[in-house]
Amino acid sequence: MNGQKPRFLRPALIGGAAAGILSGIPIVNCLCCLWILAGSALAAYLLAKDSPEALKPGDGALVGAFAGVVAAAVNSLVSIPFQAVNLAFSKRLIERLGEYLDQMPAAWDEWMARSAGPVSVAWFFAGLLIAAVVFAAFGALGGIIGASLFGKKAPAAPPGPPPSPPQP
Amino acid sequence: MRTRRRLILLYGLTLAGSLTWLAGIGLAPWLRSRSSPWAPVVYACFSPVCHQIPERSFGLFGHPLAVCSRCLGIYAGFLAGTLLYPFRRGFAGVRAPRTALFLVLSAPIVLDTAANAIGMWATPGLFRFFLGLIWGPLLPFYFLTGLGELALRARTK
Repeated sequence: MNGQKPRFLRPALIGGAAAGILSGIPIVNCLCCLWILAGSALAAYLLAKDSPEALKPGDGALVGAFAGVVAAAVNSLVSIPFQAVNLAFSKRLIERLGEYLDQMPAAWDEWMARSAGPVSVAWFFAGLLIAAVVFAAFGALGGIIGASLFGKKAPAAPPGPPPSPPQP
Repeated sequence: MRTRRRLILLYGLTLAGSLTWLAGIGLAPWLRSRSSPWAPVVYACFSPVCHQIPERSFGLFGHPLAVCSRCLGIYAGFLAGTLLYPFRRGFAGVRAPRTALFLVLSAPIVLDTAANAIGMWATPGLFRFFLGLIWGPLLPFYFLTGLGELALRARTK
């Protein structure tokens, strides 16, 4: 088990970082949970690539869960500078919609209020904790799918015939 | 026998988790309708995995659900797949679905998501919901396979 930690670390960091960054970038993050699944599947692929044996579903779950936690941390950091960009994009979207509607639905005001508030330290860490738990679960699923898709190895070729003895 | 018990326990936890997750999706707008201070907390639990854009979400009690219509379809499909699991797999062992089945069931949602993302077309909410409902039932078969394999591996050590 101790040998598995270094083996898992690099794939989890790469897959988690990719998922976390893409989940935090405005517009691109509209794919919801699919980035986490994809990033964890990438982690499973990287783990399978370096492994001489077929990747088990449980290993996919572990590396995927680790990738999910990494993604949560990266996403929380990436989202901070992009919060202003997200808010500006949302305001422009609502202004354009307001040109076509006499009255904006109340839900939009609530959504804007949720998005526009300042980020307090306590709320940041609470959000990070929630994201870590949720992303770990989604990551485990993505890792299992990745292990199933990329973890199979071709069966070893049967040993060839023994070499013939040298002719006298 | 222990194998079966462990798998049944994992299955129960997954089913309970799935029901709780869906209940939370409906709880958020109910709390909002009653001006509860817990409403933002519940919405925040789902914000890491959904954009929560009101225009793309169904409504309940006059407020948007905690996730969009596509995500709702995926989670509802996950619950349906979880309910189907004992009849398709049982609890004697674990086995992942075939890759071909995954590719066939994933194609519609992947194509539609990509097309929406690049602006090719805008899919109505109900159609997004059904695309998620098609893909979602496959996911618990992977989830339970992976966790089941881990649980069985821990037992043999």
